[in-house]
Amino acid sequence: MTETLTIGKALNLGLRRAMEDDAKVVLMGEDIGKLGGVFRITDGLQKDFGEARVVDTPLAEAGILGTAVGLAMRGYRPVCEIQFDGFVFPAYNQIVTQVAKLHARSKGRLPMPIVIRIPFGGGIGAVEHHSESPEAYFAHTSGLKVVAVSTPADAYWGIQQAVAHPDPIVFLEPKRRYWEKGQVDTAGSSGPLFASRVVRAGDDVTVLAYGPMVKTALQAAEAAAEEGRSLEVIDLRTISPLDLDPVYASVRRTGRCVVVHEAPLTLGLGAEIAARITETCFHSLEAPVLRVGGYDTPYPPSKLEEEYLPDLDRVLDAVDRSLGF
Amino acid sequence: MSTLSQATEVVDPVPGADAPHLPDQPDLVQLLTPEGERVEHPDYALEVSEEELRSLYRDLALVRRWDVEATALQRQGELGIWASLLGQEAAQVGAGRALAADDMAFPTYREHGVAWTRGVDPLHVISMFRGVDQGGWDPVATGFNLYTVVIGAQTLHATGYAMGMQRDGAESAALAFLGDGATSQGEVNEAMIWAATFSAPVVFFCQNNQYAISVPIERQSRVPLYRRADGFGFPGVRVDGNDVLAVLAVTRAALAAAREGQGPTFIEAFTYRMGAHTTSDDPTRYRLASELEEWKLRDPIARLKAHLSRSGIADADFFAAVDAEGDELAVRIRRGTLEMPDPAPTEIFDHVYAEQTPELARQRAEFVSYHASFEGEQ
Amino acid sequence: MADLRQFKLPDVGEGLTEGEILSWLVAVGDTVTVNQPLCEVETAKAAVELPSPYAGTVTELLFEPGTTVDVGAPIITIDIGGDDAPAEPSGTGLIGETGANGRTAVLVGYGPRSTEARRRPRTTGAGAAARATAPQVLPEADYGSGTGRPPLLATAPDATVKPVRHGGLETGRAAEAHVTAADTQPAPTSSPVAGPVAGRGALRPLAKPPVRKYARDLGVDLDTVTGSGAGGVITRADVDAARTTPRGADMAVSAPGEQRIPVKGVRKHTAAAMVASAFTAPHVTEFLTVDVTRTMKLRQRLATRPELAGVRISPLLFVAKALLLAAKKHPMVNSSWDEAAQEIVVHGAVNLGIAAATPRGLVVPNVKDAGSLSLVELAGALADLTATARAGRTSPADMSGGTITITNVGVFGVDTGTPILNPGESAILAFGAVREMPWVHKGKIAVRQVTQLALSFDHRIVDGELGSRFLADVGTLLHDPGVALTF
Repeated sequence: MTETLTIGKALNLGLRRAMEDDAKVVLMGEDIGKLGGVFRITDGLQKDFGEARVVDTPLAEAGILGTAVGLAMRGYRPVCEIQFDGFVFPAYNQIVTQVAKLHARSKGRLPMPIVIRIPFGGGIGAVEHHSESPEAYFAHTSGLKVVAVSTPADAYWGIQQAVAHPDPIVFLEPKRRYWEKGQVDTAGSSGPLFASRVVRAGDDVTVLAYGPMVKTALQAAEAAAEEGRSLEVIDLRTISPLDLDPVYASVRRTGRCVVVHEAPLTLGLGAEIAARITETCFHSLEAPVLRVGGYDTPYPPSKLEEEYLPDLDRVLDAVDRSLGF
Repeated sequence: MSTLSQATEVVDPVPGADAPHLPDQPDLVQLLTPEGERVEHPDYALEVSEEELRSLYRDLALVRRWDVEATALQRQGELGIWASLLGQEAAQVGAGRALAADDMAFPTYREHGVAWTRGVDPLHVISMFRGVDQGGWDPVATGFNLYTVVIGAQTLHATGYAMGMQRDGAESAALAFLGDGATSQGEVNEAMIWAATFSAPVVFFCQNNQYAISVPIERQSRVPLYRRADGFGFPGVRVDGNDVLAVLAVTRAALAAAREGQGPTFIEAFTYRMGAHTTSDDPTRYRLASELEEWKLRDPIARLKAHLSRSGIADADFFAAVDAEGDELAVRIRRGTLEMPDPAPTEIFDHVYAEQTPELARQRAEFVSYHASFEGEQ
Repeated sequence: MADLRQFKLPDVGEGLTEGEILSWLVAVGDTVTVNQPLCEVETAKAAVELPSPYAGTVTELLFEPGTTVDVGAPIITIDIGGDDAPAEPSGTGLIGETGANGRTAVLVGYGPRSTEARRRPRTTGAGAAARATAPQVLPEADYGSGTGRPPLLATAPDATVKPVRHGGLETGRAAEAHVTAADTQPAPTSSPVAGPVAGRGALRPLAKPPVRKYARDLGVDLDTVTGSGAGGVITRADVDAARTTPRGADMAVSAPGEQRIPVKGVRKHTAAAMVASAFTAPHVTEFLTVDVTRTMKLRQRLATRPELAGVRISPLLFVAKALLLAAKKHPMVNSSWDEAAQEIVVHGAVNLGIAAATPRGLVVPNVKDAGSLSLVELAGALADLTATARAGRTSPADMSGGTITITNVGVFGVDTGTPILNPGESAILAFGAVREMPWVHKGKIAVRQVTQLALSFDHRIVDGELGSRFLADVGTLLHDPGVALTF
């Protein structure tokens, strides 16, 4: 059955399905129970599944993740919510030193099927620490997987796939897009979780984006079409592991690539992707792989965030630059 | 082996705290004096058979023998390091013996005595210090988690595990080991908050061995550690960590309370780290020899031996047999260590994920070719 | 058997460099066990006992009590004899001290090891091949677990079947098997999803960025260039080559007024043959202008003879006969250069090839053992050969085995040329049109029938003298056919 859902509602429904499917799924986070979460993502779930399965935790992110480790060892499937991206750092120790490494160090005896949901990215006019893009810190940690959904359909299916996956997944949700709507066939099936997807076909330049920047890239492509340029937009969807085969196929046709992310430019995902594309598609490149990212500064006060964040104009400037080589 | 180093000012004592490292502290639950006399405690009775007493002695003696052998092996370059538990045998064996089969223990990286009681093969512990793996035993089968090197992280794991036990309706408990230094870690405090808030069946067993490498306990806490529990809202008890009977009694009681749904307890086992933090540490730099001498008089094994001899529960033949068993154990450990095979290089890649990623599989394949490209590689 | 080990004085504290042996706790001949204290050593800080790293028998105490010994000096020898002996002591010390194992102690492990500035030796071949395999990602990379993506479920879900509610994993796993299936979920707030479109747009030509720029600067369209690099990569040289041959590559587009004829079939074969011949045998061509009036008159007379009734008698017949007679006298011109065997093969029979123009192109059928044929037989053979060739029915057998060739450029009204040897042969004779020309005949200018002969030969086999004599003989026979009685 196809419904029109926001990303937030799609996540809510997906979590509900996941909890119905497996009694071992336990949600934990600050304000997720009674309040239903500060973005209402977990709205109604505690009422239906009870306090043992939807836990309002004390205010300590390390505690949330550390107890999740223990629950996972006991056979549960914890889904931790980090209220905002900027507050994941107290949990970073548990995530990097414990969650990411336990499977390897125990030679598979202690799997960590933990999902760490993080609303990420800017563009909501917020105060400090509520608009971060910390994906590189996790993608750089082996033992973790990182995905970023951009549509209600991906959110609905992706959260279920992530919950069912045996490895720990940092599940990034584009908070500025939480209220954007789309079609979701809740009775259908989905593509694989760790796969990128061409969301708009084109011939001139390949544009890569994930999470909140996918919409920005698509709008840029529409504007470019009016200028007679045909952009191919690929939603990366999975940050770690990267699925770049569709990207390589695209670049072998277009010869040009622009990567877009909100995270600061230097040492962001764009750098890794550019390195791989250059190595793999060297003989097809008409131009170097260009990156559009946030500036290498702390995220600014909300009055300046639109100056900071990549937008349609910055994406198209990069496209122009690429075509100019 | 260490003797007096140049006198150093250890630290300014906390006003009112009188010689905090010395054994005779207030509120210490004790059932066996340092001289080997059995005493009673109003809150902690211990029903223990003679068989069990001899068995406890055997555990203590063999654990120490293992520890001494491992220390020697490290001195000989066979192990990268060894974290000696010398002096803490009673705290660990006593706590370990209190565990039920279905309970789960969460050690730090020094709980070889607890490992012993859980049936973990010493060589599976040694492999970690030799650099062969990160711990060779099966944590699920043994009920003994792998060692955790990040200070205090395991206390949260234990608490979460206990929360899982609650959801299972199991009558089991988790035993979280930590040191005195760990009580300063935020995550340890978070674990205690969680344990209290959710009344989780977890017991926090803190071996206060007086030092976190070189930093003494008074720099970690202005208040005796067992009283921390008040702040979190659950009982705290201080026990003579060198008294295996008291430790056994106190830990049994705490685990029982947890299993019955009464929530957590904080046990401070007051003991002393007779050796160095790890084998290349030099304790003479930060503590006084006189302190060491004081604690030698509180040796956990000597007092039990005295008790067993004096009360006729064990005779010279018994002690000789235990010694002989210790020698055999040492030979087995030595041989096993020297013969321990090095890990296959591809283990770097295996088990990173439950589901291997394509990129990692690719890297592994490249690694295999690279490895094979060198002369003399198998 | 004695297995002697020596225990070196370790650094027992804080980087000290020497210690005084205060007393020995064992004597020569004592059996010692591992960890048994051997001696008491005093450093600046403390007196310590040193435990034995070995079990065995003390054979030597190397210093008297009271001696100050450097750290690292052996102080005692122990015969370990048996097999339970522990490893050589490394004398691991305290933090910052380097043990005998070469590593500097740290709090948390073995400590750093020093390395050499030297590459480890590699195996040949396999290693080189492995090194050559750069970590490229290929479109269908083998992920180590088979082809394509790691296989999870064997079958994909039927879209019409109600999905199994096992959460996302099963559906996602099933979909792994159909990873290139078109997306069924349209993107919400953007234009409809086209899905991954296969075959749309060609792959770009492959070239390194500097080569790309080079081509662009020179105005060379890479789509028209064939790459000679691995995988079809276009190199700088390929770009250069494309510049000099404007219609060089496969994917050329015709300019207006231009016709493109594919190279194939006979033409392709002939071209290849010419190239082979021209670039292996060193060609020399010699020319001779001959007054063939007498031969032309003979031709007229023979045409009336009954033996030759109905047989075409062309000037070619007489040239052929002259060549055959001359070849008998100079057999070396009827030979081949065998490069592989490093031999010159002088053929017995003359298989005379006649270059024939056919609608399909140039073919060179030959008359086998032409030297044994009578003039009449030769005439018949030549007529047949020509007719067959014109009909396009020359067989491969006809065309193989030739040993010497005549090419008649005269039929086109051309005087002479520099013919290219038929591959495998060492001589070819071109003869041109027979023209009426002023000539010196019997001392006076007369109008005579004159033709030009051009003989190209393989100078590896035929030297200038031989070639000249042969050509002269052919000329003589054509000039004065009666001379044939002497050949």
